[in-house]
Amino acid sequence: MKALDLPLREQAAAIASGEVNPAELLDAALARIEKRNPAINAVVETFPERSREMLEAAPAGPLRGVPIVVKDEWPLPWRAQRFGAAELLAPTAPGESGPYRALRDAGATIVGVGNMHELGSSSTGNASVYGPARNPWDSERCPGGSSSGPAAAVAARLVAGAVGADGLGSIRFPAAYCGLTGLKPTFGRSAMAGHHMAAVTTMIVSGPLCPDAADCRLLGSALFGEELAPGGSAGLRIGVVRDTVSEDVSPEVREACEAAVEALRAETGGEIREVSLDGVEPATLAAILAINSESLGGATPERLNHLHPEIGPINRGFLKYRMLLPAAATVQSGRIRTLMRRRLAALFGEVDAIAWPTVPAVAPPLEAPLVELPSGTLTADQANVRGGALANLTGIPAISVPVGISSDGMPIGLQLQAAWGRDELLLDAAEALERANERRWVESLAPLARAGSDPAEVPGA
Amino acid sequence: MEATDRREDFIPAGLASLGIEADEVELAVINAAHQMFWPAIRDLLSLDTSAVEPERSPDLSKAPQP
Repeated sequence: MKALDLPLREQAAAIASGEVNPAELLDAALARIEKRNPAINAVVETFPERSREMLEAAPAGPLRGVPIVVKDEWPLPWRAQRFGAAELLAPTAPGESGPYRALRDAGATIVGVGNMHELGSSSTGNASVYGPARNPWDSERCPGGSSSGPAAAVAARLVAGAVGADGLGSIRFPAAYCGLTGLKPTFGRSAMAGHHMAAVTTMIVSGPLCPDAADCRLLGSALFGEELAPGGSAGLRIGVVRDTVSEDVSPEVREACEAAVEALRAETGGEIREVSLDGVEPATLAAILAINSESLGGATPERLNHLHPEIGPINRGFLKYRMLLPAAATVQSGRIRTLMRRRLAALFGEVDAIAWPTVPAVAPPLEAPLVELPSGTLTADQANVRGGALANLTGIPAISVPVGISSDGMPIGLQLQAAWGRDELLLDAAEALERANERRWVESLAPLARAGSDPAEVPGA
Repeated sequence: MEATDRREDFIPAGLASLGIEADEVELAVINAAHQMFWPAIRDLLSLDTSAVEPERSPDLSKAPQP
């Protein structure tokens, strides 16, 4: 096996032991990006000299020498973020963002910038100033968004780890679509400095996207600035909510997620409890209103009348529509946030984790991102946000774990959510789930990531 | 005048009152977004949350104070 195909932790260990030369690993990553990236458009910029400088200056940290992709949502000292768009309403500039510093201090090498959905505004990843990223499992399908490029880069094994951002599910959705593990940390635990909304957001967090939970633990520890130590998940009490978010899902997703929850129960010697959680639907809207209000900074009528012509039509319209949203609804959203935080606090007295499908259907086509659910046909965004928004609104951590492959060959993800600060428990539970299914799903590779693969062999490429 | 009679004026009147211009494509997106979100916003506004005591400067990294 090539070093680049090793998990992040094994790459780091091989470099530390002298078994792998990190300069050769960096060259291998750059070469693989050149070979595989044209089929998926996951990485929108590389900067080999900057990467080599980072490597030469790297301290002997836990990620020394491992190549990492960072979402186009964070500034780097040599590059301002573009947020997947031709223009941002907020000012941006090159700089040492929190994720950059965390990676640098851990010894990692930033090898490229990951594509993302334009302005972070969708769960699909099918629009970007760079052109859409594509799913390595099927390049005609959505990779998920908004952290589309980081997820596609890891799923294609251009790198073994990437940094994304999650404001309404933007790490978890692409993790589910691309067969990865993606952690949305507790609000405030992971590095956020330098983000153009860092001072105003109550929703967005940085987080890791990796092949499995152990790699998320390693990369997450760097982003958190503290070790996410394993603590075990014995006797895990798993809450299952019988609601739209777990019921209005495609039969294959439902079956895979229910099987995974039962496997997790058996592996941990725990129990499954059916619990009620009223208010998920208004909480979803409250979350949408909250993040849209927070991103209004700089949106003057004058600016909106002179948007960059390359901003896509959906965002052009929606940027203007946001100006009409009633302030009373934003105030009401604050009360819904309080209500849901209290309900969750009470619920986490009864259970350790809440489980439901990360997304209700597998990745839809890029050209028409619609999903067929028992309730009918919905846009992927309408369907996905129902399961993603609650964690952002309330601040709790959540993780998406691969739990199956659909009959048409696309990954399925299960989401676990836990109480504030229990990110480590989610990683423990994800590892238990991997053991329960003998790592079958975390070791399933997208066609583009299989050894000797050629882009021409990828479905849809 | 019935409030419902003026419902369709909301988008053009709202944009005009703010001095925001929108072309045909943008208006189609705005109208689609409005159709999707407005019923839910009305439902949200109609919820009685008067009994919910707001958190003062909530720390979202922690559970709410009892």
